Amino acid sequence: MKPLLASFGVFIRQITRDNMLWAVCFAPLLTALIFRFGVPYVDALLCAYFDRAVLLADYYLLFDLWLCLTPSYMACFASAMVLLAERDENMAAYMAVTPVGKTGYMLSRLILPASLAFFFAMLLTHYSSLTDWDLPVLAAVSLVMSLASTAAALLIFSFSRNKVEGMAMAKIASLLFLGLVAPFFLSSKVQYLAGFLPTFWAAKLAHEKSSLYLFPALVISLLWIGRLSTRFRRKLC
Amino acid sequence: MIRVKQLTFSYTNRPFICSMSFDVREGEIFGFLGPSGAGKSTLQKILTGLLTNYQGSVLVNGVEVKARDRGFYEEIGVDFEFPSLYEKLSARENLRFFASLYKKSRDPNELLASVGLLQDADKRVADFSKGMKSRLNFIKALIHDPKLLFLDEPTTGLDPSNARRVKDIILEQKAKGKTIVLTTHNMYDATELCDRVAFIVDGSLRAVDAPRSLIMAKGASIIRYTFLQDGKEQQREVAIDRTGEDELLQQLLKDNRLLSIHSSEPTLNDIFVEITGRRLA
Repeated sequence: MKPLLASFGVFIRQITRDNMLWAVCFAPLLTALIFRFGVPYVDALLCAYFDRAVLLADYYLLFDLWLCLTPSYMACFASAMVLLAERDENMAAYMAVTPVGKTGYMLSRLILPASLAFFFAMLLTHYSSLTDWDLPVLAAVSLVMSLASTAAALLIFSFSRNKVEGMAMAKIASLLFLGLVAPFFLSSKVQYLAGFLPTFWAAKLAHEKSSLYLFPALVISLLWIGRLSTRFRRKLC
Repeated sequence: MIRVKQLTFSYTNRPFICSMSFDVREGEIFGFLGPSGAGKSTLQKILTGLLTNYQGSVLVNGVEVKARDRGFYEEIGVDFEFPSLYEKLSARENLRFFASLYKKSRDPNELLASVGLLQDADKRVADFSKGMKSRLNFIKALIHDPKLLFLDEPTTGLDPSNARRVKDIILEQKAKGKTIVLTTHNMYDATELCDRVAFIVDGSLRAVDAPRSLIMAKGASIIRYTFLQDGKEQQREVAIDRTGEDELLQQLLKDNRLLSIHSSEPTLNDIFVEITGRRLA
């Protein structure tokens, strides 16, 4: 446990010494403020302007889902950037020959940050959401968001050679989150074309409020993580 | 300390390391010599557990590397060829961090002083020169006082005086009973430091013996001498075990007419070329 915590400690220290990553940590709070107070205000203005009773309110759940995703994705983006910096510094391979090991390294760089982000996402969404959430649904959605973000971090690290490429890959990896919008804009069965994306099932879960969608959400997320982990571990050496 | 039996490893379908077997005894400095791409670094990765999909048996400190646990690394120190350090942290912060990963550790200041980095201890590693990074990387492997050290080209990029410091520390570690596996293509380091060396070419061992034994077994030393004849400097050579038969040399000695005389032994590089047909560098 001591090596794992030490390894996590140096991960945090690297984030605090990097202005961009430090700013990324505050992005979820900023998003929460904008969504909680900005969206209803803009909605009211738009409704008055277009003389409509409802405009954005139908999509408040989508804003909440976005908010719930932000802590996990920001944490995993920071993880991927630290992983790439450590790879440049030959640290990733070196950690594998210390008591931290490859598994401990993965835990301290991906699983621990994603776990903390999971709890933070629950808290943030609970206190800043625009719609009402049942706690079990919120926990399930936060879990899927954490897993999807972990898959995104693995994708960024596995297919980038340095931080610059990592930034570009982060944009591609964010396509993983397009699944969030499918249940809101595609009412027919066409929406299931997005079924290979974990976030699609998270959105279905929140939209339909049915725990039935948790199973495919977990299976799809774990398939992504499993497939990318092999490449990740190979890249560590 | 290390027992390797019938080790075979491949990155692709073709074997990269073929049926390799050797032992490294406790307390010795064992060198792997070979040209780039021979398999030295791959072998080090297997011995340190970075690559585990090998065939055969690799016992390190009594543990089959495939079945190692985290405790395995408490007694192993690794110095990779390329520095692995946190550039945004200072030298002292780096050493403190690495020390925190182990159950036991040495004083970072003592280690920094041993390689002349104490006055730069609080400088960010990003501001270090290549040689300073190499020295810091080297002492990082010693921070937990391991029984077994894997050193990959530890003197590369160092000026002669710092290379001497590092070599002296390696010899001190040996004197303390530590086992050291040295990977290098520097024949002078290998000759000076290693109790035994293994020649590796194309993923297989071509010879394992003490450097001196390899040199003496494969070629006799030669004596070269020069003298003046008809106003011109002439050079002759004779095998050291045949000097008694060289009448000219006897005569020149008797007449005090020698201009210079040197003995010349084959180097480990010469022996390597003779055995493997390849060059080290």
